[in-house]
Amino acid sequence: MTDSPLVEVEGLHFSRGEMEIFRGIDMQVPRGKITAIMGPSGTGKTTLLKLIGGQLAPDAGRVRIAGEEVHALSRKALFRLRRRMGMLFQSGALFSDLDVFENVAFPLRVHTDLPEAMIRDLVLMKLQAVGLRGARELMPSELSGGMARRVALARAIALDPDLILYDEPFVGQDPISMGVLVQLIRRLNDALGLTSVVVSHDIKETLSIADYVYVIADGVVMAHGTPGSLDVDRDPRVSQFIHGEPDGPVPFHYPAVDFHADLLGTGGPR
Amino acid sequence: MKRSKTMELGVGLFMLAGILGLLFLALRVSGLSLTPPGDSFRLEANFANVGGLKPRARVTMAGVTVGRVESIALDTEWYDARVVMELDGELAGALPEDSTAAILTSGLLGEQYIGLSVGGAPETLENGDRIRDTQSALVLEELIQQFVSNMVKE
Amino acid sequence: MIALIRRLGRSGCEVTEGLGRAAIFLIQAAVGVPSREGLWLWVRQMHFVGVMSLAIVLVSGLFIGMVLGLQGYTILVDFGAEDALGQMVALSLLRELAPVVAALLFAGRAGSALTAEIGLMKATEQLTSMEMIGVDPLRRVVAPRLWAGFVALPLLTIGFGVIGIWGGQLVGVQWLGVFEGSYWGNMQASVEFADDVLNGLIKSLVFALVVTWIAVYQGYALVPTSEGISRATTRTVVYASLAVLGLDFVLTALMFGELS
Repeated sequence: MTDSPLVEVEGLHFSRGEMEIFRGIDMQVPRGKITAIMGPSGTGKTTLLKLIGGQLAPDAGRVRIAGEEVHALSRKALFRLRRRMGMLFQSGALFSDLDVFENVAFPLRVHTDLPEAMIRDLVLMKLQAVGLRGARELMPSELSGGMARRVALARAIALDPDLILYDEPFVGQDPISMGVLVQLIRRLNDALGLTSVVVSHDIKETLSIADYVYVIADGVVMAHGTPGSLDVDRDPRVSQFIHGEPDGPVPFHYPAVDFHADLLGTGGPR
Repeated sequence: MKRSKTMELGVGLFMLAGILGLLFLALRVSGLSLTPPGDSFRLEANFANVGGLKPRARVTMAGVTVGRVESIALDTEWYDARVVMELDGELAGALPEDSTAAILTSGLLGEQYIGLSVGGAPETLENGDRIRDTQSALVLEELIQQFVSNMVKE
Repeated sequence: MIALIRRLGRSGCEVTEGLGRAAIFLIQAAVGVPSREGLWLWVRQMHFVGVMSLAIVLVSGLFIGMVLGLQGYTILVDFGAEDALGQMVALSLLRELAPVVAALLFAGRAGSALTAEIGLMKATEQLTSMEMIGVDPLRRVVAPRLWAGFVALPLLTIGFGVIGIWGGQLVGVQWLGVFEGSYWGNMQASVEFADDVLNGLIKSLVFALVVTWIAVYQGYALVPTSEGISRATTRTVVYASLAVLGLDFVLTALMFGELS
């Protein structure tokens, strides 16, 4: 059982209105490892996380977490399953009416009947782990973006979950807080024996900590493998993405009529 | 979760003020009396015409309000109006049997009410009894008609 | 032509669907066992929607009462009936002005703030993250606000009525010289607690439910962008005001019109 993957995604289809976002995604997230899901913007990486977290329901296909099929669960069972999951949102999503301490204490207060002294100890431990024990009395509005994300990380691990989902953890961070976050994700994963899923398009940082990488484009898994194997992948699309080349199979230009014809106004309908 | 004492105090005061306001509306504005309503008794009276009398209109005696009109309905036996009045309990068994009821108007354009006058008979009216001697409302059109027909006769 | 009818049908379906969603939302949010924690959340929201709206409601109530006193006096004095001023002020306040104006002010002051607050929580993914922690945002975020609005507006309406009657008294009795005894006496003779005060309160309870419901639903269902929030806030005020005025007519017809 311990060798089986924690999260299994099978033949996942999902569409928004007329737009098909996923056309059959298969994916396995091994226990205790950091799995990265990468891909260009707009390929629905966040949507994939929401599907795993059970916030959205797929059109077809299955998501299993620890053997339980997420979308077949009752609302109650789903909420129970989510106690074993932490999710770190792009914006941090700290509750703006609670201070840092209460934000981290929130899951503990909701899901446990621990005495106040124990909650305090646990919260301080988690805040210590992200290096923000001294900021416990600040309100979320007084935190910088990187600090907010670290507090959110402390909150996500408050209940000692098995699985953490990171939604774009590196977006809009200065190099220092980016480095802090990269290191934190790796360290927490190894120290707490977590399984992590990181959704990102920051290639360098993600490749530096991921154990396994899935690259998604056009609604399917375009490539997967270890960071090393992807780095030398010959597929031009993969190589364009991994090495960040501006033009390639994914064109720089949005589809348009011929430039000269357009300038001269003879290029057909506008 | 930190509980701010001042916030709790503010909300408490707010709710207290609301309750006091309601009390003010009840006692001072609508003149609601807190005496139990059970202490009352009913009398009936038939009028040939009630004019503009409405349920809940006052019933007075010597100008003092002693009750209110409970209901007005058509009596299908005599085809006149049967008015049920609810009077103060202390008048039960105190009004002589030949007391009279008249529909009066307060001022020229005011609302109509019932005025009771005491008779002199030894027997008294009990709960549910009927006042025999009644005087209908003055209806302006009828008055004018009478006046005009009298003119024509002369 | 057929396309036109189809468009009409589609918009009809959409409206019905939206109403249904809002109704389910209301039931899900309002039903539930209150906990100690919930009570505290409710107190905070009472402070936010109730106590914070008190000033604007009371000041408006005072001015409206004073205007009623002034206008009523100038009309009634022509008929020599200025003694009925108290009756006029009290009845128009209790039956109509207090519930309606307080609800409109409440929609503008507290309703729009509720929409914006919930909308902002949605835009910053606080609602989603709450759900991921395993807490139902309907219970935690929406329900306390809904109940707070439901309790706060009737209280504000009472305050509006009381201070309005006092304002009418201020102008009529203190400045214009109506006899104080007849101001209060006429009022007491004509105002019925069950008919006027309670009906006004029932109106205000209905308005409270509708305004708060619209406000929290607009916040919960909005498109989570800054444009979406500003639009939803506007919609809250517009829908809530129209709903209050429309419902006021229906309720007035049921309560005071001789329809029944």
